[in-house]
Amino acid sequence: MSAISIRELVFGYRQRVFFEKIDLEVESGEFLGIIGPNGSGKSTLLRLVGGILRVWKGEVRLLMRPIHQLTRREVARIVAFVPQESSFAFEWKVSDVVLMGRNPFLKVWEQPSVNDWRIVEAAMIQTGVYELRDESINEVSAGERQRVILARALVQQPEILLLDEATSHLDMFHRVEILQILSCLRAQGKTILFVSHDLNEAAVSCSRILLLSQGRIVACDTPAKVITAELIERCYGIAPVMTTHPLNRLPQVLFPAF
Amino acid sequence: MGIVFVFLSASVLAVFTGPGGFSLNEAGDLLVFRVLRLVIGICAGGVLGVVGGALQGLLSNPLVDPWTLGVASGAAFGATLAIVSGMGSSVVLPIAGFIGALLAIGLVYLFARNGGVLPVTRLVLAGVVVSFLFSSLVMLVIVLSRRTIGEAVYLMMGSLGVVVTKSSVRMLVGSLFLALVGCGWLIFHARELDIISFNEEVALSLGVDTPRLTRTVFLVGSLVVAMVVVWTGAIGFIGLIVPHLVRMIFGPRHSLVLPGSFLLGAGLLIMADVAVRNLTPSGLPLSVVTALIGVPFFIYLLRTKV
Repeated sequence: MSAISIRELVFGYRQRVFFEKIDLEVESGEFLGIIGPNGSGKSTLLRLVGGILRVWKGEVRLLMRPIHQLTRREVARIVAFVPQESSFAFEWKVSDVVLMGRNPFLKVWEQPSVNDWRIVEAAMIQTGVYELRDESINEVSAGERQRVILARALVQQPEILLLDEATSHLDMFHRVEILQILSCLRAQGKTILFVSHDLNEAAVSCSRILLLSQGRIVACDTPAKVITAELIERCYGIAPVMTTHPLNRLPQVLFPAF
Repeated sequence: MGIVFVFLSASVLAVFTGPGGFSLNEAGDLLVFRVLRLVIGICAGGVLGVVGGALQGLLSNPLVDPWTLGVASGAAFGATLAIVSGMGSSVVLPIAGFIGALLAIGLVYLFARNGGVLPVTRLVLAGVVVSFLFSSLVMLVIVLSRRTIGEAVYLMMGSLGVVVTKSSVRMLVGSLFLALVGCGWLIFHARELDIISFNEEVALSLGVDTPRLTRTVFLVGSLVVAMVVVWTGAIGFIGLIVPHLVRMIFGPRHSLVLPGSFLLGAGLLIMADVAVRNLTPSGLPLSVVTALIGVPFFIYLLRTKV
């Protein structure tokens, strides 16, 4: 089934058109990596899919339903969003932050039920932050905080997960941890859109990779076909040194020698 | 518990102390007067606490309140115009206050907006500027209409000593009722305020209609603040400090912070009023007392929280 379907999407900032007629199909259960240089439109595309930004023209469909016909609450039950960084003005408890993921299922005045709390606990266990549930969100480490936010996204019970450079502030160990959780989720049939600056991370974890440059789709195919010296040089403007991963034969990009 | 205690003891003090002392025999009129003053104090302090808490959550900034956003002085300006044109006891008073508050928040919004986004630092900066503008206008209007500076001082710095006549009492009760309804609305939307305090984008992705919530909280907040400021003048610092104190006790959930802020705001304001009435023969503007408590606290917050 088609999880996300984008047809002739047009969008821009202020008066300037940025995306001119973008088309994209994402099947259910795909792990789509979105890569491209700074300012290529990766995060913008993610926000259009999540309904955070509204398209100018064209159509975004989630699970076959046009997004503009859905309420915000309905969208939030289909798509969850994990931002790059989260800061909190007040001292929230970890479990309170996760609980907010139930908002799209609750009426304005409705209090969370026992069942809601059960879902919250399950998500915290799945992302390994259950032990931190009573800590203040401002006192846990960056890696832990990102797993708390991931738990909040899971509590929305979404079909589609959007991650906007969600691992770029983390060290390698914590990245691998998040990627492992994501591959579990993919095995459960969730569709994942994963914006990344790290080509190697995208190559080993994604089933398909979308390469953006200046608001245009340059390529959208398997890692082996997208992460090539020719395409990388065309979009990023530097000639990379290519190699293959010794275990899975996937392409990997090295820094040039200085 | 502590908050309830503060609230109750302040109420008792407010009724049984003050110039004129207290004697059981001839206390009738005096008691009515003090109870009325107490009711105004409860509403004003409570409302300022609730709106302050809601605005801090909405803008995820611990430094905003009805005063720093210009709403309170806007309402005071509206009230001043109504009073100097002789309509201080008619329905014009609360309406003028509300329009003044809306005008202030509208100006703040215009100054602060940058493209489509509303950066909170600019919002606070614009709020302080607009607040000064309207405070000066209050002073200007009072002086031009040849009234005493004293009246302007009370309008800008607050007093619970509103003179209630037969014709204005209905208006007063109506305003306070509206203010309480507005506070109820804000408390009703506590969880959405929780979420928007995370971040606007995140709130959108969690199903909160943030543009609509922002507009309505500004609108309801302005209305509610105007409904008390037109009677008491613009009382500073309650809206800023009280929600912080309550958060330290209950944590940041608005479903606890807002009702807690109502009780504590009411309690502190009544205490300040008791102090004003008992310690000084001629009375002081309330903001003098609330600021004397508020400034050290504000500095403490700046050193530890922001």
